[in-house]
Amino acid sequence: MSWNDMKASTKDFWSEFRKVKSGIVGLIFLGVFLFILIFEPLLLPFSEANTRWKDITYWEDNPASAAPQWTNLFTSKKRAVSEDLEISEIEEKKVGTIRIIEESFIYNYEYDVAPADLVFRASGTGSATFIISIERPDGKTIDLFRKPLELPADRTLRIAIDRSSKNEALNFLKSFNAMDGVTAQTVRTTDVIFSQVEKSLSFKPEPLKGEYRIKVSMILQKEADTITSTGMKIAGRVHGILGTDNSKRDIWSGVLAGVKWAMLIGLMTALISVSIGVIYGVMSAYLGGWKDSLMQRIFEIFISVPLLPVLIVMSAVFKPSIWVIIFIMSIFYWVGPVKTVRSMGLQIKEETYIEASRALGASNARIIFKHMVPLLIPYAFASMALYVPGAIVVEATLSLLGLGDPNIVTWGQILQDAHRGGAMLSGMWWWVVPPGMAIAFMGMTFAFVGFAMDKILNPKLKTR
Amino acid sequence: MFWKYILKRLIYGLLIYAVLIFIFSSLFNTVMEQTLRGQIEEEIRAEIMSLDSLNAQQTQSFIENRRADKYSQYRLDKPIFERVIWRTWSTLTLNLGRSSSIRSSAGDRSVWAIVSEKIPRTLLLFSTAMFVDIIIGIWLGLKKAQKAGGVLDRSTSVGTMVVFGMPSWWLGMILIMFFAYTIKIFPSGGLHTTPPPEGIANFFDLIYHLALPVLTLVVLGFWGRAFLTRNIVLGILQEDYIMAARARGIPERKVLYGHTMRTAAPPIVTMSLLALLASVSGNIVFEGIFNWPGMGNLFWFALQQNDVPVLMGNLAVTTALYIGGLVLLDLVYGLLDPRIKVGGRA
Repeated sequence: MSWNDMKASTKDFWSEFRKVKSGIVGLIFLGVFLFILIFEPLLLPFSEANTRWKDITYWEDNPASAAPQWTNLFTSKKRAVSEDLEISEIEEKKVGTIRIIEESFIYNYEYDVAPADLVFRASGTGSATFIISIERPDGKTIDLFRKPLELPADRTLRIAIDRSSKNEALNFLKSFNAMDGVTAQTVRTTDVIFSQVEKSLSFKPEPLKGEYRIKVSMILQKEADTITSTGMKIAGRVHGILGTDNSKRDIWSGVLAGVKWAMLIGLMTALISVSIGVIYGVMSAYLGGWKDSLMQRIFEIFISVPLLPVLIVMSAVFKPSIWVIIFIMSIFYWVGPVKTVRSMGLQIKEETYIEASRALGASNARIIFKHMVPLLIPYAFASMALYVPGAIVVEATLSLLGLGDPNIVTWGQILQDAHRGGAMLSGMWWWVVPPGMAIAFMGMTFAFVGFAMDKILNPKLKTR
Repeated sequence: MFWKYILKRLIYGLLIYAVLIFIFSSLFNTVMEQTLRGQIEEEIRAEIMSLDSLNAQQTQSFIENRRADKYSQYRLDKPIFERVIWRTWSTLTLNLGRSSSIRSSAGDRSVWAIVSEKIPRTLLLFSTAMFVDIIIGIWLGLKKAQKAGGVLDRSTSVGTMVVFGMPSWWLGMILIMFFAYTIKIFPSGGLHTTPPPEGIANFFDLIYHLALPVLTLVVLGFWGRAFLTRNIVLGILQEDYIMAARARGIPERKVLYGHTMRTAAPPIVTMSLLALLASVSGNIVFEGIFNWPGMGNLFWFALQQNDVPVLMGNLAVTTALYIGGLVLLDLVYGLLDPRIKVGGRA
């Protein structure tokens, strides 16, 4: 087949393909996945999601088990959304050798359920005394934190108000004699901060909406003490596009990061196995005789292997990386196209031009690769597309059993975490639905494309 | 000479099984022997506990003697090739060894006892699902083929593609979340409520527990079955004798069920059985989600317990069932399609 023939037949194929609507829809979806694949670094809300997925310190500022942000649209009680606060004012004072940096953050609280946590982060050198207080819309001020702390050299200092300021919150209630119905065990710091307080009445978490001003003062004693950067985060009750799991990981980041692995696993397995299968089938048909019989016996052994159980045991024993998993899947998947390809090969073999080239003294390899395999390329592409979903599901299944590659993020692994974390029982649908939906969606995409190609290549399936 | 064909196919199936078991045995030889050595040490330690009044030297020689005994009993002192052959043979004769921690419901630690009690449960689940699935699938497939290219045909074909890459266990998770925890109309898993009810109530309890997993499998399965039936039937509807039958004025219903289905039945039946096999081996993890105590759940459980002998034994039995199914499939096909009987070839 020359280059021009190839171009012409591709053009023909495309004009046929264009008429199949589902195929076009599949191509559009495929485009969307490719877009995500290419622009993943820009789309990821947490840029290190790929490398630090299992590192809990990377995710600790997020709320745990928070629903997606947009669920607020469907509930009557609006829950606080996760956000980063901007510094509204910064002031530096010098008293003798002592420097005082005062920063204030404005938080507009317009929700019904208080956020899960307030997290302050600072990086620098030496040590400093941190004083954090919050000024509420009703004019009352709560002193939340006052402590001299060392600034660690290798990471940022983290102050989480929910944990560290429980006593201060209780003292605040005590000063208003509003301690009824509250115990030190049950009260949540953020509930106290963001709720109305009436003197001598029992405390009920009625939201106090309005503008909160959080003041952070850092007192630096020595010349060597410095503060290089600070930040304040609100860990809401609803978070991001797809919420978080029970170890505070952002699920949207995980689903995005899984796209490339699913693509890789599916396409690699399909490409390798279909290539082997097509060449094997053609060789078996062309060589004929005892070679054909032997190849068919080997094929029958492979087809008698229950793929998934074997893969499960192999993964359990050898703990393979993702590349080895792809390799093992290819070893078993190649049998799929062999039967069809062999029967097609038997037909092509009888063509006169094959006989002619044999008469001219062409080698077997030349006839097989130059004259027979190219004719099967369209079929090969169609079956490749239909093999992709299977491979993705198999990998997801292995991951669900905890046998996936621990160094990567795949949809199956997110689902495994969800299953083990009891997401079904606690109704955390945002943890279960999106990864599986992504698997199903990717499968659907390739099915659309593959079925459309199949329809064109198999005229018998056409409608009457 | 149908019986000759049967015999040939059976022997051939056995041969393939033996080859596969040999491959598994050599592949997993190292890890199997590690666990076996561990088990032997454990047994010897237990024996020492029961014997007292031994001094240090006696204990040492006792351990060495026992170890040598056990090693020769399990052929661990033989060259590697012989060990692999011996392991293959003992697997083929269902001598699957002892588990490291899992017990059967009777408290037995023999792997065969553990695996064999799971087989009927797995078969029950998947064959029930496949039965419902085939009925709906063939009915829908016929409807689709009758009006190929129509609204029903096109919309259900889209359905086929939508569920094409959907993991059954994921749909199971979603359905459990919705039907077992949100609106509590189905149990979240298991074979029976605890304690299991007696008599006829026991049967209904089983059905009740079977409902959700079967529903999941059917919801995912029947699309593919319908699509396949449609393609097979559509191919036959284009044959000349169908046109001839129509020309003779035979009613469409009779053409469809009499003439077409008679030709379409063998491939549809084999395809469905093949799908059942693929479903058992491919959806094996699915049982774990529903806590259905079958062979798939055993894989899951053995993985968590790191019980290598059970894992291997379960694999051997699953493979045997799979190959047995393939052989049965060929035989059924031979029975349904007279051309194969005459030719004597698959």
